[in-house]
Amino acid sequence: MSYTLYHIPDWGSSVIRLMLEEIGVPYSVALLDWDAGDFDSAAFRAVNPLGLVPALATPDGPIFETAAIILWLNARHGGLGPAPTDPDRAAFLSWLMFVSNTLHQTVLTLIHPDRVAGEAVQEVVQAHALERLHGEASRLEAMIIAQDPDWLSPRRPGALGYYLGIILRWAMYLPENKTRRFSLDPYPSLRAVLKAHEGFPAALRVAAADGLGDTPFTAPAVALE
Amino acid sequence: MMLTLHHAPDFSSTIVRLALEELELPHTLAIVDLGGGALAAPEYRQVNPVGLIPALETDDGPIFETAAILLWLVDTTGRLGPGPNDPDRGAFLSWLFFTSNALHQAALAMFYPHRPAGEANTDATRATAQDQITARLGLIEAMIGAQSPRWLSPDQPGALGYYIGILVRWLILLPPEPYGLNLDDFPQLKAVLAAHEARPAAQRVATDEGLGRTPFTNPGT
Repeated sequence: MSYTLYHIPDWGSSVIRLMLEEIGVPYSVALLDWDAGDFDSAAFRAVNPLGLVPALATPDGPIFETAAIILWLNARHGGLGPAPTDPDRAAFLSWLMFVSNTLHQTVLTLIHPDRVAGEAVQEVVQAHALERLHGEASRLEAMIIAQDPDWLSPRRPGALGYYLGIILRWAMYLPENKTRRFSLDPYPSLRAVLKAHEGFPAALRVAAADGLGDTPFTAPAVALE
Repeated sequence: MMLTLHHAPDFSSTIVRLALEELELPHTLAIVDLGGGALAAPEYRQVNPVGLIPALETDDGPIFETAAILLWLVDTTGRLGPGPNDPDRGAFLSWLFFTSNALHQAALAMFYPHRPAGEANTDATRATAQDQITARLGLIEAMIGAQSPRWLSPDQPGALGYYIGILVRWLILLPPEPYGLNLDDFPQLKAVLAAHEARPAAQRVATDEGLGRTPFTNPGT
């Protein structure tokens, strides 16, 4: 079994690096250079026709989209969340999809507000995105309090904890306007999950390799300022 | 297995209904009164805390999000897509989530352009969404041409065919001029969707919901 992760440190591929480290399988890293045009190269488009990271080359061919790679790895190796036959699967899949197609997209809009409707309206787009992100985080917080699920818990590492850790990290430090940065303060239960995840051994290894600092999921700006 | 689909006709829950009909899984429809605030009701939030349809109540508890429900049905029945140990699983998952994260989200920006950037900027939002939709359908078309995958094929029904079919239906019907979609620009995809809309399961749902006889490829008739 051999895997190659197409990667830029602290991009979406860091989510998948966390999964690979958590599972403990060997993998190689193919570092890409955005400025050098690597994303548009024919070789990379053959791996991921979307021209995005993450992409994972596997013996079954390439896989892309963060949630797709997570579910594929979990089915093959376990250890990241409920297996396909687990009764908790229904809830896990629902929230993984919510994070993937809603919360993740909101974070991308927050950090790239020019992409939605051009630079002329990016201020209003970013303000809307931050408001939506707080609404989405409050749904997660309420779910953690109500269900205390094993698959998003401070007690054990899981795919969704690492996934949220990376994308909320970006929301906390990437907006140049500090008033448009996300904060975990209103969400103590979510914060506790992310605090535990940044301390798990797999996260410590990825933080060191990718230069994410000591508190990558709960206070990412500390490492930079 | 007791299944209850929270549903409104010609909404995203129709995608799940098509899969349930194709699988011939007995299910109950709980029709949601979208205009009556039903999605905000506390009882509904117990089923789906995010307050959207579709949601499917199962013996394992409620599931929400279209792609999550489709994948759960594939894994529970072993039909409509490659299972966890199938060599095609990786490609199927990649394109299922691309449809959910990229195509479906761009379609929502087209249909509800005030959400991302406010009422004053709906034209700019729609213009961006139009470009994204065209590019993303182009990627799907190229993939079908290159791979002829059995999980998105005219030869057998699949979860992704029904998912893209409903999205394409709306993209043909709903955008105001000059936006919209000409499915003839995507002939491989059109062949897949034409086969899906002709399935007995699709015809049953189309008749019941008033979607017409060609709900995916020519929804205006």
